[in-house]
Amino acid sequence: MPFVQDQRPSSDPAAVIDFSPEASSLAIRGLSLAYGDKPALRNLTLRIPRHRVTAFIGPSGCGKSTLLRVLNRLHDLNDEVVRTGEVLFEGEEIHAPGVAVAELRRRVGMVFQAPNPFPMSIHDNVAFGLRLQGGLSKRKRDDIIEWALRSAALWDEVKDRLRASAWSLSGGQQQRLVIARTLAVGPEVLLLDEPASALDPISTLKIEELIGNLKSHLTLVLVTHNMQQAARVSDYTAFLQDGELVEYGPTDTLFTHPRLRRTENYITGRMA
Amino acid sequence: MRPVPGSRARLPRGEGPGDWLAAGSVALSLLALLALLALLAVRGLGHFWPAPVALVTLDDGRQLAGERVREVPLPEGEGHERLYRTGNRDLDGARWAWVAVSAIAAVSHPPDLVVLERRRWGEAIGRLTVLESATGERLEGEAAWAALEARLAELASLRRARDTLRDEVILPRVRALAEGAGVDPELAAANARLRELQAAMEGGRLTLATAEGERLVVALEQILRARRPNAMSSLDKLAAWGEGVWRFLSEGPRAANTAGGVWPAIFGTVLMVMLMSLLVTPFGVLAAIYLNEVAHQGRLTRLVRIAVRNLAGVPSIVYGVFGLGVFVYGIGGTLDEWFFDATLPSPTFGTGGLLWASLTLALLTLPVVIVATEEGLARIPDQQREGALALGATRLEMLTRVVLPMAAPAMLTGVILAVARAAGEVAPLMLVGVAKLAPQVPVDGDFPFLHLDRKFMHLGYHIFDAAFHGGDVQAAMPLVYATALLLVLVILVLNLTAIFLRHHLSMRHGALTRR
Amino acid sequence: MPDSSSPPSVRRRLRQGRDRLATVLVTAGGIGVIAALLAIGVFLVVEVVPLFWPSGATQAVSPQALWLPLEGADDSVRFRWDPTATLGTDEPARISLVPLAWGTLEAAAWALLIAVPLALGAAAHSALYMSPRLRSRLKPTLELMEALPGVVIGFVAGLVLAPWVERHLADVLAMLVLLVPGLLLAGGLWSRLPPRLQQALPLGWAGLWLLPWLLLLLAASHALSPWLEAWAFGGDLRRWLEVHLGLDVAVRNAMIVGMAMGFAVMPSVYALAEDALSSVPRSLAEGAQALGATRWQTLWRVVLPAASPGIFSAVMIGAGRAVGETMIVLMASGNTALMTWNPLDGLRSLAATIAIELPEAGPEGPHYRLLLLAALLLFIFTFLVNTLAELVRSRLRRRYRRLGGGA
Repeated sequence: MPFVQDQRPSSDPAAVIDFSPEASSLAIRGLSLAYGDKPALRNLTLRIPRHRVTAFIGPSGCGKSTLLRVLNRLHDLNDEVVRTGEVLFEGEEIHAPGVAVAELRRRVGMVFQAPNPFPMSIHDNVAFGLRLQGGLSKRKRDDIIEWALRSAALWDEVKDRLRASAWSLSGGQQQRLVIARTLAVGPEVLLLDEPASALDPISTLKIEELIGNLKSHLTLVLVTHNMQQAARVSDYTAFLQDGELVEYGPTDTLFTHPRLRRTENYITGRMA
Repeated sequence: MRPVPGSRARLPRGEGPGDWLAAGSVALSLLALLALLALLAVRGLGHFWPAPVALVTLDDGRQLAGERVREVPLPEGEGHERLYRTGNRDLDGARWAWVAVSAIAAVSHPPDLVVLERRRWGEAIGRLTVLESATGERLEGEAAWAALEARLAELASLRRARDTLRDEVILPRVRALAEGAGVDPELAAANARLRELQAAMEGGRLTLATAEGERLVVALEQILRARRPNAMSSLDKLAAWGEGVWRFLSEGPRAANTAGGVWPAIFGTVLMVMLMSLLVTPFGVLAAIYLNEVAHQGRLTRLVRIAVRNLAGVPSIVYGVFGLGVFVYGIGGTLDEWFFDATLPSPTFGTGGLLWASLTLALLTLPVVIVATEEGLARIPDQQREGALALGATRLEMLTRVVLPMAAPAMLTGVILAVARAAGEVAPLMLVGVAKLAPQVPVDGDFPFLHLDRKFMHLGYHIFDAAFHGGDVQAAMPLVYATALLLVLVILVLNLTAIFLRHHLSMRHGALTRR
Repeated sequence: MPDSSSPPSVRRRLRQGRDRLATVLVTAGGIGVIAALLAIGVFLVVEVVPLFWPSGATQAVSPQALWLPLEGADDSVRFRWDPTATLGTDEPARISLVPLAWGTLEAAAWALLIAVPLALGAAAHSALYMSPRLRSRLKPTLELMEALPGVVIGFVAGLVLAPWVERHLADVLAMLVLLVPGLLLAGGLWSRLPPRLQQALPLGWAGLWLLPWLLLLLAASHALSPWLEAWAFGGDLRRWLEVHLGLDVAVRNAMIVGMAMGFAVMPSVYALAEDALSSVPRSLAEGAQALGATRWQTLWRVVLPAASPGIFSAVMIGAGRAVGETMIVLMASGNTALMTWNPLDGLRSLAATIAIELPEAGPEGPHYRLLLLAALLLFIFTFLVNTLAELVRSRLRRRYRRLGGGA
């Protein structure tokens, strides 16, 4: 068997595409993060383009979910986290002392792996964030709720039982409800942490369609371990491994002509 | 590990002998529990059932009449002896009679035996011979009995009128007078009316012929109730039973806690427990939220958590000592020096009272509430918290709108368990404010309406006191049984509620995790 | 279309302010409440100190008087607790805590002697054999038993059980003698039953259908007791005890306390022991059974050793409860500060002494401080015992998590 020397390097300092500051919604510069003395992210630098879908892929424990949680400061909840580096959202450092975390999280919404509707009615779940903001008439609020449920492609299924418990919905419906709930507060960025991993194929399809529709007015960041999903829905893909950004580029290029062998090994399933 | 029941039978190899001992210990524990509950239920409720009155004729021709209480074997194996409650304590100084069974010649239950419940001297038992009404009329036989019943009904309504007049008209005015208000003209009128009522109650007497052949004259005004148990139908007895239970629940104790009801003790227990839950709920929840949601989850928090759990196992009497030393002598003494200087040396807050008792029990039950709430909080998945935060909620909003509503059943369970524990706890109360007999309940129409400094009665302490400090323990026993039954029922109901809530809770969280 | 214009900043600042204020309040309140709870220990220590290092008018008490026998006194008064008569007089203070500590430990020991076998037997049966349906009802039932107020148990023990036992001493003895053979006989009879009957009376429900059998045993021991008394004890057990063993029989005695408190303590020991037994990873027991062990052998050789720390902590918790229980001892013990090995004689515990004497002791005096010392001893003892139990339990939990069993 002839031995073909692969010319591509196995590792290379993050050779990534870059967006102009104007076109990017989030910019990460030299971000490192550790849980106690266990490093999770090592010196990441990347920009996330506005109104596009960016996917983070990589093996379990590569830090992709951690990175996502940094973006709306959910890692604040963990006392042990040590972080260096910058994260800019629309040009502003999100860790700056004066930043209102709650407001940041409203603008950078997040949907989690397992659907987590609150134990209240469907209506109240969507109204939850709106009530926190306050200052809306009931009619205006109901309008937004309807709009959000329509945007999440759930309205037709639940419009007759808005007062039913959110826990009575199926898993896929719950996940779309959570998306609707997040949309209702008017975020600019939507972070999706493996949003379909707990769902059946049909529900997954619906969520993926939804992601495609939402990028017209939202910046989406998707974490997934499902390569096909990343290929189907994202515009750009970043491959992370061991807390490092290995490769970042337009999705079709990355999947068809990865620059690095590590990337190719992973996407073709030849991971050790 | 737990096969289908019955599959044992197919296993040829026998189980060890230990299996049967283990199963036996389950059965033995259940037997003890059931026996205790049955004992309380039978003795506690049976007391109100009008017992038949036996007319006992002895070998030597002597007679006695009374309710049969129990029968025990004689020490040397010479048969049994029976205890009769014969009443008529004013005649021979004794209320009880022991009779050797072998000495009994005949027992009958003549329907004309009358049992009188009197305000003093306990009950009187005998045959009604003559009734002299207030107007001097002499009646005998059935006519006398009819007249007696009519007169007793009249007396009861007179007494009620008098009590209402005294409590609602006279006492408030007397208090106002004591505080320096002018003389109220209505007071004199009311006093006159009171004397009228008093006079209307007097007069009339009856004569009983006791079984021993003596005559017992009783003023009608002394009689609370009259009954002929042997002549009563089952329905009459049922009505009398219901009335007895109601009187037990609604009246105050008489005759040094050996007769009457337990209303002030019920009232005191409930009030104390309510105050305690008002104190323990917010503080317990606060501490649990701090420990679970706010505090840095390090070694110190873990130690504090273990310490709090352990405090639930510290004996209640130690909490009582703390309450006495810190609340009563410490804070109470200081309060007295500052605000109640005028009444010293007689203490106001420097002695046990409702407030200190509630505080002490709140402290005692604090660990229960903290632990239950913490468990509820820990059961809520972090995703729920993150979901709220991701929608732009502040931590306070996350807590109040998502976490606390979800933990509410757990908190409620904790509070109910705390209440159940507090309702049954007696030892600390003996140090910080319970009273053998508190004539005034701690709530009245007198400013400030709720008297936190007063002593109060308590069901649990009532049991202890009536059973151990009463003069005639034998007489108090039925009431002690009834009180114990009441207390156990209250606590069982509270615990069942908590168990139900917890079950409900685990079902709901089961639904959550199944998805 | 969502109203993405940011909400008025005033409101945002208000929300942030409220959040910060609430955090501060919760922190302050939480720490305050916990501090108040922990203050109990501090308070007791602070109040007891003047007993040994007096300042001003208070008279010191020598620690020797608390623990060592009175010098030159004869045997009957070497250890005496009689502070009201001797404190503040010229007589040597008779304030030995020894008889009280003795009474406390004796009562607790008798209670555990009764509660532990019962609780462990019940726990083993319900964790391993009992039908799940019965088990799910038994647990709350025993929880209710745990909630029964001490004053009620004490009343029944002191005023109903004690006089009954005094009259029927031989019955109790006969029951004790008959109980174990009787249960084994039940097992023996059961194994000879035809299979259909065996299925009707499964071992999983034995906790219930043994109840009538126990009643039968009770009746049998009642019937047998005169024979037993006549045959072994010359017709009168009480006299025999006095003459041959020199045991006085008091109406309210240590055995009554043990029975009542055993009844009270048993459910909490059961609950913890049952938890420990049923949380042993199932794979362990199944492995043993796959090797051909009977369930009893599995329990004895595999499950019990694995759960032993949990059972140990269950017993510790029971001991803590038994030592501190006040009303039962107060009402069922006779409160005589004796030091004897005789289980049929009275005793007096620390907790009961506090309950009786503290209301009369008045603040500040040496008697008051002595009783506080007694409370401090109780506090330290129960706190240590519970901490030990808690540490053992959390170690055990961690070990199971590591084992990661198939449970």
